[in-house]
Amino acid sequence: MTEPSVLRRYTVPLAAGVLFVAVALAFFALNAPAPFAVFGAMVQGAYGDGFALSISLVKATPILLCALSVALPARMGLITVGAEGQLYFGALTGTGAVLGLLHAPAWELLPAMLGAALAGGALWGAVPGLLRARLSVNETIVTILLNYVAIRLVDFVVYGPWKNAANLGWPATVSFPAAAVFPAFTVHGTTVHAEFLVACAAAAALHGLVSRSRWGLSLTLLRSNRRAASIAGVNYARNAVAVMAIAGMLAGFAGIMQAADVQGRLQPDISVGYGLSGFLVAWLAGQNFLRIIPLSLLMGGLTASADALQLFAQLPFASTVVLQGLLFGSVLALNGWLRRSKA
Amino acid sequence: MLVALKGIHKRFGSVHANRDVHLQIGAGEVLALLGENGAGKSTLMKILYGFYAPDAGEILIDGVPVRMDSPRTAMSRGIGMVFQHFSLVRELSVRENLLLAYPHSPWWQGRAHARANRVLRRLREFAPDIDPDALVSQLSVGEQQQVELVKVLNVDARLVILDEPTSVLTPPEAERLWALVRKLAEAGHSVVFITHKLEDVMACADRVAIMRAGALVDVRDANRLNEQQLVELMMGAGAHSAAIEVDAPASAVARLLVAAVSATRDVMHIEDINLELAAGEILGIAGVAGNGQALLADAVAGFAPLTAGEVILAGNVLHSAERSIAHDPRIGYIPENPLRNAVAADLSNYINLLLRRYSEVAFFPRWEREKTAARALIKRFDVRPPLAELSSGALSGGNLQKLVIARELSRPRELVVACYPTMGLDVHAAAAVYQHLFAQARAGACVLWISEDLDDLMRYAHRIAVLYHGRIVVTVDHRDADRHVLGRWMTGAAAAAA
Amino acid sequence: MHAAVVFLAQLLLAGVRSSTPVLLVLLGETLTQRVGVINLGVEGEMLVGAAGGFAITAVTGNPWLGLVAAMLAGLLLSGAHALLCLGFKVNQIASGVCVLTLGSGLSAYYGAPYVGRQIAGFANPSGFASMPALAPLLAALTPTVVIALAITPMIGVWLYKTRTGLIWRTVGESTEAARMVGIKPWRVQLAGILAGGLLAGLGGAALSVDYTRTWVEGMTAGRGLVAVGLVVVARWNPWLALPAALLFGGSEALYLRLQSLGVTVSPYLLSTLPYLIPLAVLLGSYRSARRTGGMPQELTSIFKGVQ
Repeated sequence: MTEPSVLRRYTVPLAAGVLFVAVALAFFALNAPAPFAVFGAMVQGAYGDGFALSISLVKATPILLCALSVALPARMGLITVGAEGQLYFGALTGTGAVLGLLHAPAWELLPAMLGAALAGGALWGAVPGLLRARLSVNETIVTILLNYVAIRLVDFVVYGPWKNAANLGWPATVSFPAAAVFPAFTVHGTTVHAEFLVACAAAAALHGLVSRSRWGLSLTLLRSNRRAASIAGVNYARNAVAVMAIAGMLAGFAGIMQAADVQGRLQPDISVGYGLSGFLVAWLAGQNFLRIIPLSLLMGGLTASADALQLFAQLPFASTVVLQGLLFGSVLALNGWLRRSKA
Repeated sequence: MLVALKGIHKRFGSVHANRDVHLQIGAGEVLALLGENGAGKSTLMKILYGFYAPDAGEILIDGVPVRMDSPRTAMSRGIGMVFQHFSLVRELSVRENLLLAYPHSPWWQGRAHARANRVLRRLREFAPDIDPDALVSQLSVGEQQQVELVKVLNVDARLVILDEPTSVLTPPEAERLWALVRKLAEAGHSVVFITHKLEDVMACADRVAIMRAGALVDVRDANRLNEQQLVELMMGAGAHSAAIEVDAPASAVARLLVAAVSATRDVMHIEDINLELAAGEILGIAGVAGNGQALLADAVAGFAPLTAGEVILAGNVLHSAERSIAHDPRIGYIPENPLRNAVAADLSNYINLLLRRYSEVAFFPRWEREKTAARALIKRFDVRPPLAELSSGALSGGNLQKLVIARELSRPRELVVACYPTMGLDVHAAAAVYQHLFAQARAGACVLWISEDLDDLMRYAHRIAVLYHGRIVVTVDHRDADRHVLGRWMTGAAAAAA
Repeated sequence: MHAAVVFLAQLLLAGVRSSTPVLLVLLGETLTQRVGVINLGVEGEMLVGAAGGFAITAVTGNPWLGLVAAMLAGLLLSGAHALLCLGFKVNQIASGVCVLTLGSGLSAYYGAPYVGRQIAGFANPSGFASMPALAPLLAALTPTVVIALAITPMIGVWLYKTRTGLIWRTVGESTEAARMVGIKPWRVQLAGILAGGLLAGLGGAALSVDYTRTWVEGMTAGRGLVAVGLVVVARWNPWLALPAALLFGGSEALYLRLQSLGVTVSPYLLSTLPYLIPLAVLLGSYRSARRTGGMPQELTSIFKGVQ
């Protein structure tokens, strides 16, 4: 329960940032003629104008939700890599509701769509939670396997039963009706979707709940020592399933928002590795819900700048994945180094 | 081989584990290194074994200074050590463990390989009953110790250090070890026998070196001292363990009934356990470690699901095969290894103190109030340092046990289960634990007390039951208890004879 | 009757072929976990192996050089895992995900020019043309299949019958005990991680250079991660690696066969089998692994949770 010192709280993010910039510049220097210009283009492409900012927000939202879905189970010591699968499965069940109520009014369609997506995500999260609690099966491995299953199930419906025949070869469902779209508004040329605000509110609520309430303490107890938790009457199985189900809901919400708001239909590529980016963000944030918000914006910006990198320096999309990995690795190394030099 | 330690200093943080220790160990002698827990005996020998580097001082072998920078160096110099917690790998076989430590271990280790089988020669000599292909985890503690000893002899150790070897053994096993130690000495080996038991000194030592609070107090021939003198040297002048009163139970009516209880966890079983305790009665459970003690304690306290039977307290079923509650408010439980089983080590003391009344804590707790309550308990039970916000893992063993007792025994309980409550504690800390434990009995609680110390059991328990292979094999009144008879039950010898 | 036998024989051959990449990664990850380290990054190492091996084969026309390049690529990337979790003591799961991200990014980035390129792969053995009955068998036994089938028993014997194997197992069970007999655990763990990376790279090349003879971004489709789970199924025992790998490869071969036989179930639905079948077996084997052991003790703390 010891809080990091004030000094560490500010030096670590700062040093990590410097380290990342250095590593990114080195990577650009290896692959493009003018590394500083490329870096500038990247920043410009992420946050340069309202349009860039809008795209960054769109990318940041699912990353934020997926990061929350990694950080909450981590509070009780569960390591999940399952956000990607929960995102896909939530999108799948949510889309099922939409297709069933294509011509229903918004007040019927939206709750049904959200309810189905949250339930689907919760199911995809609760299964590894239950297996962990009842059979002690490692949740990391189960979530990994379930990711691939969910992605293939989405493939199945969009190539098969739910495929819009009018699309010819293109695998996707029919376009969602306008009633299924979440509200968005524009501030100074930047479009903010409502789900981003919902995600931020979820982060704040989780932060308050976990840091202030007895439930948060229960999770900490379960992480620290299951035996001690049972002395307090805190049940491991119930919390493992609950926490994983909530995690699944968060990712499932991200999934249906991708389908409804971003793509306007369900199609195979609703996620570009948001689950993995969320995992990275959660760990970069030290599983702290509030710190996840700015880091998601950073990671979203990085993802959004892919187009700028492509245009400016002919660097393909994969370069942002490399940068994500470099960012993650440098922060992990820095944290490890600080921990060791302190000990 | 003559080994000399000169002016050894070692500090761990603010604790002086060794200060200015000078000690000589001659060829073919058995030197008992006697002292209380925490006197610095093990540290001194781990320095000789190259496990720790001394802050100051030097080690001489046959008059030549030697730098012991690792156990490997020590081994190459003919020094071997058998640890209290064995360094055997439990999931490997006896043969593999011996091969691992053998300096001339061949690259190819097939079963028929002649050179690979050479490691078994001493095993056949000293412990012919042990199957070399058995996994170490399948051996009894006494057998593991023999394997460990063979491992050390295999590296041609001329000086063998034994770290509290009898603390894990039954009386007959200890006798066998003493004989083995004498045999080693006759074969020209030097033996350092770290112990806090006077009987070890009396049974097999030539000389005795006594340590107290990190310093070497005295070195004498063992036969020149009687037990009284040894105790005074070990404890310091005028030190006496506090007298602990134990009253006879007020009534003979059974209040706690453990009826035909069976339970299973991993490879451990307890079967058909039947116990009856009157209010205020202290029932001691004796037995060799690894016979199901921790599982029995957990089963009675509600931490292990029962496969059969019931635990009944004052007419109410506490636990049964259908239902177990780990946090019933009538039970106070001091489990084995409190750091692992009783507290969340990385959480603060005040959190660990409120675990037993967790459901009474508000959903949004008022932490200041909880800290104040914790400070009062910490003061009352003399936990040091008296800090509510310190991580419990930072406490010493004795103070951690006090913290657990503060939580478990600060309220009157109807049943107290204590599993090895004084293990690893020095006499003063142990006395404090006993005070609190037996005070609950005086107030009318049934006390189920599992201990590895037969002497303490015979001194304080009203009755003693022996646990062997997961079953209660005999129960005796403390007035009829006899070390050797109990020892025979603990090893199963008595049951075999009966 | 005869048709059924032929179908099963072909299925087995196809299963062994499609198991080979997984088998190689599984053997590598078994070695890594045997020294007490878990590495989710094998997926990324496999990808750089697949991309690197394919690229070198495409450029030089020599698939053997491709295999060597793939092993080097896997080895180098696994060095990042070693640096993070041995050097900086980073949580191994987090470090593994970092390596996975780097591997998928780097392979996609530097592999991009080679997407859609054609390679010849290994030449078919021509000397056996006189034995047409054995032709399908020989066609199935491509070089990487033979390599994988050959090193499986070698690793098994090495691990259980030699001194270095014993040292590796000891480090996985208890670094403390290893230190006591003068072993430097980090060196052994480094070797274990690098061996895992080497084999993961080779497994990637087995997929791109030999099995599919194409390179597509992210083509490993989770084979490396599945292998991490299959280590549990194989009880950390290289002798059981082949049957465990067949769970993935066999179900993959099965769904491809069923598809070609005109079974009406959607191929996308069937393609979940290579993940669901190992998962199902994993659930069964976890219970018994807990009871009878088999898990290197140093791993238990990692499997327990976040630090």
